[in-house]
Formats: sequence, C-alpha cells, structure tokens
Amino acid sequence: MRLLLVEDDAMIGESVRTGLQQDGFAVDWVQDGRAAELALETNSYDTLLLDLGLPRKTGLDVLASLRRRGDAIPVLILTARDAVADRVKGLDAGADDYLVKPFDLEELAARVRALLRRKSGRADPVLQVGDLAINPATHEVSLAGNPVALSAREFALIHALAARPGVVYSRAQLEEKIYGWGQEVESNTVEVYVHSLRRKLGANFIQNVRGVGYMIPKQT
Amino acid sequence: MTSIRRQLLLWLLTGLALAVLAAGARIYTQTLAEANEMFDYHLQQMAASLPNDSFGPLPPSSTQELEVEDGLVVQIWDRNGLELYFSRPASKLPQRAELGFSTVKTAHGSWRVFSALEQNNVVQVAQPMSVRQTIAAGMALRALVPLLALLPVLGILIWLTIGRGLRPLNRIAGALGRRTPDSLDALPQDKLPLEIQPLVQALNELLARLARALESQKAFVADAAHELRTPLTALQLQIQLAERAKTDAERATAFANLRQGQARAAHLVQQLLTLARQEPGVTAQPHAPVDLAALARLVVSEYAPLAADRKIDLGLSHEAPVRIAGDFEALRVMLGNLIDNAIRYTPAGGVVDLALHLRDHAAVVEVSDTGPGIPDEDRTRVFDRFYRREATQAPGSGLGLAIVKNIADRHRAAILLENRDPGPGLRVSLTFPLA
Repeated sequence: MRLLLVEDDAMIGESVRTGLQQDGFAVDWVQDGRAAELALETNSYDTLLLDLGLPRKTGLDVLASLRRRGDAIPVLILTARDAVADRVKGLDAGADDYLVKPFDLEELAARVRALLRRKSGRADPVLQVGDLAINPATHEVSLAGNPVALSAREFALIHALAARPGVVYSRAQLEEKIYGWGQEVESNTVEVYVHSLRRKLGANFIQNVRGVGYMIPKQT
Repeated sequence: MTSIRRQLLLWLLTGLALAVLAAGARIYTQTLAEANEMFDYHLQQMAASLPNDSFGPLPPSSTQELEVEDGLVVQIWDRNGLELYFSRPASKLPQRAELGFSTVKTAHGSWRVFSALEQNNVVQVAQPMSVRQTIAAGMALRALVPLLALLPVLGILIWLTIGRGLRPLNRIAGALGRRTPDSLDALPQDKLPLEIQPLVQALNELLARLARALESQKAFVADAAHELRTPLTALQLQIQLAERAKTDAERATAFANLRQGQARAAHLVQQLLTLARQEPGVTAQPHAPVDLAALARLVVSEYAPLAADRKIDLGLSHEAPVRIAGDFEALRVMLGNLIDNAIRYTPAGGVVDLALHLRDHAAVVEVSDTGPGIPDEDRTRVFDRFYRREATQAPGSGLGLAIVKNIADRHRAAILLENRDPGPGLRVSLTFPLA
C-alpha cells in the first residue's frame, strides 16, 4: 500500500515515514502543497496523509482541488489545529479522517488501515481470500489456519494483490506498492517475491497473466 | 479617612457661621453707634427740658419720681452741691462736676452721663450703657437668629448636593466592582460631571491598554502552545521509533534523531523564555554603559564555532569605539539572534559580517550575509512571532526576529532590513541614538 505524506516539518515527516515503512507501507514524503499536487498527478496512491499548515499551498487548498478533480483517494489530515471548527472544516472539505498532533504512530497506522479497508468496501479488518487470511494490522498471514511467516516486502505484495482479487497488477504497479521514493528497487524483485510467496502459499495461489502481470483470482 | 463630603460640609458651614457672626458683630457695632447718637441727643434734650424752678430740697422720703424711660436717671444739685432731686435713689451715681458727656464706670456697669448747668442748678441725666447695648444686641440677634436657624438647613442641602454630585463616582465604583478580570470594555462616559470625566477617560484608556495587553498575551500563549505542538509531535514519534528499533543501528539512528528533536524543543522553549523576558513592560535590567565594540567581538567569538561548522566565514569587518546605555545581556541576545539567523540562512561558503559604525551621532550595528535575502513583502512580517517564511528550510523557532525587535524597541533602536545591492544577501542595520 503506497501512501503520500505531506508534512513540512522535517523531523515529523522523517519519523512518520520511517514508522509507516516499518508498518509495511510504501511512503512518499513531500514538504509543500505544490510538491504534493505534482506527486498526486504523477503517481497513484492508496492514501494521502495531509498536514494543513503547508508552505506554497495550504493543505485545505490541496484537498479542495483534489476533490474538485473527482479524485476519491482517502485523505487523512494530520494537523496541530485541534479546534472543533477546524476539524469540521477539514472533514467538510473532503477529508476522511482527522488526526491532531501530537499523535501516536500506532494510531496513525490503524487509521490508515481503516481508511484502506473502507476504500475497498470491507468492514472486516482481516482480508480473507479463500483459505488465506491477511491481517493488515498485525501483519499476520495464515493459510487454512496455519500461520505463514512472510517478510515485510512479501507481505506488502500479497496484501496489495489480495485487497482486490481478480485485478491484474503490472510488475511496475506492484513495485510502486512495495517501494517508496528513494528506495532502491532490485531487478526482478517482484518475480523473486512472487516466487517465494508461491513456495509458502502454494504454486497456484498467485497467477501469472502473461505479458500483463499478476493477480489473485476471485474465489468462488 | 478624608471625605470630600464631610470636609466640604465642615468648611462651608464654618465659613457660613463665621460670616453670620461677622455680620452680627457689624450690626451690633453699627446699631450701638446709632443708639449712642440718638440717646446722647435724648439725654441732652431731657436735661434741657427739665423744669428747674420747681425743685426744692428733696424731701427725705420722696417717692415722687420723674418718670424716666430707658433707664434714665436724673440728678439735680444746686450750686452748693446740695442734692435737689434724684430720680432713683437706689442707683448710686457719682456726683460729677464735669459738664457735657462722659462715660462713667460704676459697680453697676457703665453709665452715660450728661451734665448741664441750668440756671443755678447742675442737672445731670444719666443712662446705663447696658440699655444701649441691649438694644444693639437685640437688633443684632433679630438679624442673626433666622440666619443661624438656616445653617442646619443649608448643611442638609450641601450634604445632599455633594452626594448627588458624587453619585456618578459611586456608579463607576459599582460598575468596576462588578467586573470580571477579563471584561475590560470602556465605562459609560455620558452624563458625567465635568470633574469626573477626566478620571473616567483616563480609566477607559487604561482599560483599553490592558485589554490590548491581555489580548496579545492570550494570542501569545495560544501561539506558543500551538508552536510547541510541532516539536512535541516530533519527539513523540521519535520516541516511538526508538522503542521499536530492533537493531543497534536502528536504535542509534533513532536516538540521534531523538536528541535533535529534544534540542529543537529546548531551543523553542529557550526562545519563548527570552521573548517573555524581553517583553516591553517586564522589569528589565537598568541600563548601564555598554561597550558595543567589546560586545560585538564577544558575540562573534561565541558564534565562530557554529559558523565554522557550516563553512561560513564569520567576522567583525569594521569597528568603532562606541558606548551606549543599554542592557548588556539583552543586547548580546539580540546580536546573537541576528548572527545566528545570518548563519542559518547563508549557504555554505558564504560570508557573515558584523560591522560597527559611528554615523551622525548614532551607533550603527550592521549584520550582513550572503544568503537569499528577504523579499519586500515579507520585510515587516518577519518580526511577527512565529512567522516563518514559506519554503524556509532552515530550522528555527520563528521567534528570533521578534526577540530582536523587542530588545531594539527597548533601546529605542531602529531596525532596517534591506537586501544587499549587488546581492545576494541581507543587511540588518540597528541604529542606536547616542544621548
């Protein structure tokens, strides 16, 4: 799951990015409103984490133009403004959630997961595809009740595929889901992770659509 | 306690009483003078009109009295000094040989005596002075009594009038008494007596100043709390990352970040404290002579390590022997903040100069750098608390220039920000008037 973090304070931005990466998210971080818009236009993100007091273009303006374009990306506002009026304004401008600084990393990750869950129309926090159960909060994966140990990248890959069964993701798209900016992408990396996932979950669990990419078929 | 009402009442009534008494005394003496004139004439007439012939030697127990009014006593002697007639034997009057008017003191008071020689007899007509005095006193009293009776009435009137006049004061006191500490709107100024208006106006001005001060304090506290959130948020996140760290390398990074975050929070708190101390109105150090050149050398040497660390050439480019009256510590903080700013915003390899000049009876301190400068539209806003220019990458509290401004204001120094020409770079000039 790839997130865009817009936060002008270097220390907070750095820490949030590190923390969310540890939780298995790919995080891109920009420090002003214009850079945020540029990133949103050129990449696709699953969630936007938006500070309000941004240089060059305020968070509310970024949000407004985003919604005007019809972009439905889940938006979580991160701000020091805690007045009820500010929260109402933020939510009414099109934000899906509002988190006041200082906040807890665990809570931030949980709220992001909740947003992702809602985006895919699920209420159950555990993703269930056939025998496979994925818990995004705990990073626990089990197959027919037996726990399966996965690395962070393997988890990110299976999470992305299992979130939308039946949808084919290209190699590039999957790389985007796994890596944020500045993280070096090893060659054949998606193939390597698919290979090891197949070894752990069964050969036919992830299907290759030749020339297009990978998918987890819809379970009937 | 002094009471205007009681004092006014006391002094007005005393003055009135004295005036009444003076008037009484004047009436008394005037009436007495008139009575003297009149009665003297009367005595003369009386003496002249006495039937002289009819007097023979007095019978031993004469009850016959010449009717006399106004306490008049008549005595008649013949030439030989034989008393022929005495109207009132009880009243002992000395036999007087003096002719004409005289005033005689006896055991029974003063007497006015008129003696005349009528044919062969000496006729003496006398009258006690007390008669005249009584008449004069009576006149005076008749005039005084109504006035004296009026005094209490006047007293009550004065009491009530002053009370009425002072009622607006009570009203204002009541209005002030009911106020809560944060209701600082102006007192009503209509229908006030002329004498109380300046007081209420001064009070209103004070209230307005208080309201402004309170407002800015509130804004400051709110801003400060808001600004503290950012470093606290960073600290909380950094602590969590440190807790999560699994490897030694991760832990070392996390703690290094944590230390930076802590340093930033501490810096902000320090700047807040400095700002609070330099707020106008806070009891500041008394001004003492400060050697600006020595101060400049001190500040430059303090910041030399930071400048070296950032690869910036910091130096004192010009100095002049200047002394001003000021608060040494505050001036040091001010110069330090300016140099700190210059170092932060100047890219590596740049130059920061501190210069001290003596120009037109003023000491001029200049800090110039080779940084990006400040666009015109931001020149005044940079002195606002917590104002940080957009796209500012250098870390900072946003308080440095606000502190500089406060200290400069306290020293009546003018601050000028200008971009250097040719650029790039910013020059900050502080002009201290020399007494």
